[in-house]
Amino acid sequence: AAAGLERPQVVSHVQQALNYTVFDCKWVPRSARLLCLGSAARGTGLVQLYELHGARLELLREMEKPKPIKCGTFGATSLQQRYLATGDFDGNLNIWNLEAPEIPVYSVKGHKEIINSIDGVGGLGIGEGAPEIVTGSRDGTVKVWDPRQNDTPVANMEPVQGESKRDCWTVAFGNAYNQEERVVCAGYDNGDIKLFDLKTMSLRWETNIKNGVCSVEFDRKDINMNKLVATSLEGKFHVFDMRTQHPTKGFASVSEKAQKSTIWQVRHLPQNRDIFMTSGGSGSLHLWKYEYPAQRSKKDSEGSEMGVAGSVCLLQNVTLSTQPISSLDWSPDKKGLCVCGAFDQTVRVLIVTKLNKI
Amino acid sequence: MPVWLREHSWRQTLTAVYLSLPLRGARATPANIFCSEQYLKVSIPPFLFEAILYAPIDDANSTAKIGNGNIFFTLCKKEPAMWDSLTLANAGKEKLQYLRENAVLKAQEKAKEETEAKKITKQEHKKYTLEATMKLEETERKRIEDLKEKERQKVAKELEFWKNQQIDADKYKSIQKKGELHQETEPLKERKKEKMNKTRIPSEGTSKIRFKSTEGHGSRSIFSQNLKEEQLPAPRAAATITVNFTPRVFPTALRESRVAEEEEWLHKQAEARRIINSDLSELEDLKEEERNPDWLKDKGNKMFAMGNYLGAVNAYNLAVRLNNKLPLLYLNRAACHLKLRNLHKAIEDSSKALELLTPPVPDNKNARVKAHVRRGTAFCQLELYTEGLQDYEAALKIDPRNKNIEKDAEKIRHLIQETTQSS
Repeated sequence: AAAGLERPQVVSHVQQALNYTVFDCKWVPRSARLLCLGSAARGTGLVQLYELHGARLELLREMEKPKPIKCGTFGATSLQQRYLATGDFDGNLNIWNLEAPEIPVYSVKGHKEIINSIDGVGGLGIGEGAPEIVTGSRDGTVKVWDPRQNDTPVANMEPVQGESKRDCWTVAFGNAYNQEERVVCAGYDNGDIKLFDLKTMSLRWETNIKNGVCSVEFDRKDINMNKLVATSLEGKFHVFDMRTQHPTKGFASVSEKAQKSTIWQVRHLPQNRDIFMTSGGSGSLHLWKYEYPAQRSKKDSEGSEMGVAGSVCLLQNVTLSTQPISSLDWSPDKKGLCVCGAFDQTVRVLIVTKLNKI
Repeated sequence: MPVWLREHSWRQTLTAVYLSLPLRGARATPANIFCSEQYLKVSIPPFLFEAILYAPIDDANSTAKIGNGNIFFTLCKKEPAMWDSLTLANAGKEKLQYLRENAVLKAQEKAKEETEAKKITKQEHKKYTLEATMKLEETERKRIEDLKEKERQKVAKELEFWKNQQIDADKYKSIQKKGELHQETEPLKERKKEKMNKTRIPSEGTSKIRFKSTEGHGSRSIFSQNLKEEQLPAPRAAATITVNFTPRVFPTALRESRVAEEEEWLHKQAEARRIINSDLSELEDLKEEERNPDWLKDKGNKMFAMGNYLGAVNAYNLAVRLNNKLPLLYLNRAACHLKLRNLHKAIEDSSKALELLTPPVPDNKNARVKAHVRRGTAFCQLELYTEGLQDYEAALKIDPRNKNIEKDAEKIRHLIQETTQSS
């Protein structure tokens, strides 16, 4: 028991019961405020802004929108503006100024069906290059938007004409280490993971992990792509080493089966890119650490470089709810502070301790 | 017949009787000795010793020592008195019997009581151990809880501290910004005007718009925004990347199953069987079997196989008159018409068959492929190559692995190319 207490502990700090289904929760950068996005019982969207006061959350503002909201991101906005980009059930991408939320700053009906996932890059003082937002939708397309260009996306990844489409469940930006380079990784419901290079506007890599991909995330968006974690149904997740791409075998990976149920989200700790948390369909959270192998790449029989995947070890796990924890976000300002939203209509603020000692 | 052991010897005191029983070589165990209040039996097959005691004894306290080829009993008398003899002399047979049975019963009862007592003590022990372990675990749990509580409080304090830091930092920043603002407005305004004149349309247009919308906000945002904008690259040139998806061998359970459509198809088939157009007067001329569309279909198939296409057509016609909802009849009739070069009829029949073969399910896959192929052939023979190609491609879509269809489709494509080139 003593050894167990030396590991990072997940302490539940605040629990807030909501009267609507929460689909996404995000920290507002540079503050102790958080946003909950979801769907009210009568089919409208809700955005609630809370502030952390001691041991409770105080509701600062509540905004109702015509359509339920599925996902949101602050990734493409500057630190002064802190505009929220949201994707809703109707396929609309909106960017809101939270000080004046009646009219969106940017609005486009980007997709024909629900936007399942959204990510932003180029904002918050992280990385370089144009601010861009990527949305992945059930209509099988992945579109990249620039808030300065109305109505048309700057990149569109869609299925071949006439082919049956697969739902895109998750998207993530990565490799944005200078002004030109950027990649988008998309995960689909049939297990496809595709990596699109936006500089060359081509498909750089694709693979299939057999089970529907619930969540993908690069460990850092603004560096040369290092690691990519993809989680799927049936409790598996894969960590790909993205530094070395083999011409035929692609990227090396290690996979781990954590829980019997779907792993809904993966989020890397902003302060340490080798630690990430996965949230599961059984209401549990697992904290993992990735360990690099001795040699990150080796030569295969033909002399081409191929990557070597490391190993993953479980630091801590905790069960908070009986319903799936569908959204998770680390605070970029305080190490170990995170918020998670579950389908039991509660949002919880957690603190993970002892992360300095890892 | 047991062998009685009679050479026993005994002596007594006021309170006890000592009985020695030689065993004649047999080996005794405690199980062979049976003793109750007034009855003593030693049974080591084939030897038997039995005694009805003169007076009752306290069998709980009596002992028997086995060894040296004999058993030595020490029987404690219930009432201290001297016995005239070891056994009751004039014990009648019934008394013997009765005593024996009694003894056995008593022994059984005693045994039962003993087991009961044992059980109870066992349960008590168990309960006690359980409680003890529970207590231990409680203390352990409490200890861990306390540690966790401490952590929680520590962490909450840190969080408060950090939050206050944030608030202070924000306040400080806003004060600073205001100070800077007053200093910077003048020179910046100058610079901004220059930039506006220098740079051409895109940034000018956008920066103008920016001005209008952000006039209400603090002026600082305009300036910093503008500066940053100069450094941001222009929006990307729009492009589209097309993707293919890995086909799934096993479609995801309910999300993609065609259950509803399959049910519909089965239902339709069942209905079709039941229809009988029985309003034809010529029906009475027909034999029983000739009224069965299935039998007629078989007949037609056989005639087709033998090359009697007209006969086959007749058979199918009659079958259709009886039941016009069976797609296979139209399908086969189309094949006959193809052979007879009645191309328009072939097309009609294939189309009718396809109509009846909805909804499309894996069950009627083969039939649909055949229908498309036959219709395609008919079109090609009528030199309507594009329509023919359409049908062949439809067939290929249903059954991508059929090489013949592929080859034929290729041929048709070539033909189309040639005709377009020549015309």
